[in-house]
Amino acid sequence: MNINRRQVLGGATALAGAATLGQPVFAQSNPLQVGFIYVGPVGDFGWSTMHDLGRKRLEEVMGAAVKTTVVESVAANDMERVATQLGRQGHRLIFTTSFSFFQPTMRVAPTLPNVFFESATGTQTAANVSLYNARFYEGRYVQGVIAARKSKSKTIGYIAAFPVPEVIHAINTVMRGAWSVDPAMKIRVIWVNAWFNPGREADAARALIDQGCDVICQHTDSPAPLQLANERGVFGFGQASDMTRFAPKAHLTSSVNSWGDYYVERAKAVIAGTWKPGDVWGGLNSGMFKLAPFTNMTPEEASEAQRIADAISTGRLHPFDGPIVRADGSTVVPAGGRLTDDQIRAQNYFYRGIEVALPS
Amino acid sequence: MTMFEAILLTIITASTPLLIAAIGQLVVERSGVLNLGMEGMMIMGAACGFAAAILSGNSYIGVLAAIAAGMGMSMIFAVLTLGLAANQVASGLALSIFGLGLSGVIGAPFVGARRDTMARLDLPVLSDLPVIGKALFGQDPFVYASFALVIGVWWFLTRTKPGLILRACGESHASAHALGYPVLKIRLFAILFGGACAGLAGAYLSLVYTPFWSPGMTAGRGWIALAIVVFASWLPWRAMAGAYLFGGITILQLHAQGAGVKIPSQAMAALPYLVTIIALVIIMSRRGGQQSAPASLGVPFVPDR
Repeated sequence: MNINRRQVLGGATALAGAATLGQPVFAQSNPLQVGFIYVGPVGDFGWSTMHDLGRKRLEEVMGAAVKTTVVESVAANDMERVATQLGRQGHRLIFTTSFSFFQPTMRVAPTLPNVFFESATGTQTAANVSLYNARFYEGRYVQGVIAARKSKSKTIGYIAAFPVPEVIHAINTVMRGAWSVDPAMKIRVIWVNAWFNPGREADAARALIDQGCDVICQHTDSPAPLQLANERGVFGFGQASDMTRFAPKAHLTSSVNSWGDYYVERAKAVIAGTWKPGDVWGGLNSGMFKLAPFTNMTPEEASEAQRIADAISTGRLHPFDGPIVRADGSTVVPAGGRLTDDQIRAQNYFYRGIEVALPS
Repeated sequence: MTMFEAILLTIITASTPLLIAAIGQLVVERSGVLNLGMEGMMIMGAACGFAAAILSGNSYIGVLAAIAAGMGMSMIFAVLTLGLAANQVASGLALSIFGLGLSGVIGAPFVGARRDTMARLDLPVLSDLPVIGKALFGQDPFVYASFALVIGVWWFLTRTKPGLILRACGESHASAHALGYPVLKIRLFAILFGGACAGLAGAYLSLVYTPFWSPGMTAGRGWIALAIVVFASWLPWRAMAGAYLFGGITILQLHAQGAGVKIPSQAMAALPYLVTIIALVIIMSRRGGQQSAPASLGVPFVPDR
């Protein structure tokens, strides 16, 4: 049985958090009320779970100085209402933790000028809106290298959520990493049009494996694809949290998100009155995410993967160095150049060699 | 295993929860009750089934717990709509929302726990049949249960006297009552059967399909099951066809994407819904636009009035 106290308490805290919504809040200047809006359930064991761990870290460090509220499984079109309600209840700092919340955040922020918003991913800041995100593509490059070593069919299967730049540049980077080992590597992509739908994610994994993919990458939040890879005897990577336990025989590594330190830093800034809109995009060296211990790999494979991760972390290797050529053959950046952060964030094309339909 | 067999196997896996839930709902609606609480009953089945399987270490105990959870939820609905003659649509919607919330509470301690998927049960001889053998007879016990449910419900509704009485309650509860049949009791049994099927479908999700618990993991399948009943114009065989059509197109569009077919993925994802609606329209128009719904569907019955 794999239940621990933290998870039990986690469920209880989430409930308590949800229960405080709707109750009248009395004018009270301290502690600082911090709101968290999640796109999925706290228990998705992925993206939203990790934001919630960050929230718990915030509570742990700040103690009585903060009081947090969680609203989970919020649909993008309901985000404005939830944020408005939190704002009216006296929350001064609100973390909106999804790219799909970014536009609603930009709409609601001007109506609540006394509230500071922190949007996990987005494209621009505003007077009271900050952006924060991690350079997950750095982990994707490492995944590509590992996949190329592990794959016998030379085909990676990629389960993608939505055709947004974050996902598109991740696919490009996986292939960049794979091609660095073996230029013959191919990829198949299935868009499931959901961040979290375990059944459909598993179906997509089944389809990809049936089509000959033997390493599965996922850009969705549930452990279903990895678990299925385990069942079918192929390899896979965990998303957002260390998913080793779901696939003891298939798991290679996971990208493990860690937001706690950032949350502490931002809450402190609000309390000190020094909060300014910022745009943080932390890499492997920032601690915003790390790679879970390598499993099911030979010592040589693991040390190679570690070497690549270190090279990215220290800046010796950059996944977006030129030459970069689009699928249609046009050059974006010649050899010697490098994509800017804005160009990476706006990437809406596949590289040459990736033969996948890109929904417009 | 050939590609064709592999696809067929996946289609059956994807369609089975829809089929089990739809068959249960079909019986409920045939008795004249519209229970929109499918999604809530299904996810309660998924949560309780997984929790019981983890605690007991036995998937079959999990299945029983899931069935009990589905029936418990449907009992709430029965008390509201039969006992208090509450509005069925409102009660059903409330049940769905309630189930989604309550399942989150029950499942919270089990987030992150994992179980191996339930073992397949190869039927001797049959599973060695070429092409369809592995797909149809080398499956998990749920798939056989779904086949048995379709045959059983078809036989019950069309070939037995109790089935005829149940349908009479759905077509005209006043007439059934006048003939001396206990309409409310019959509807109660139908609702409980529907709850049991929904719970079973939920258990399939959390014990076989994706063997872990996660809040909201039914992801709308209860609603699709409701739609399939309408698509099937309340006939068991058509419900089976509907579930497999929906599941089939869902899987085929994933395969088409994987194979690099140049159609926008959003359009592909909409395809199962589109095809099901078109099929529904065709069936309806072939019946001359006539509604084939049970005449008393959704109408509360109060014997004394």
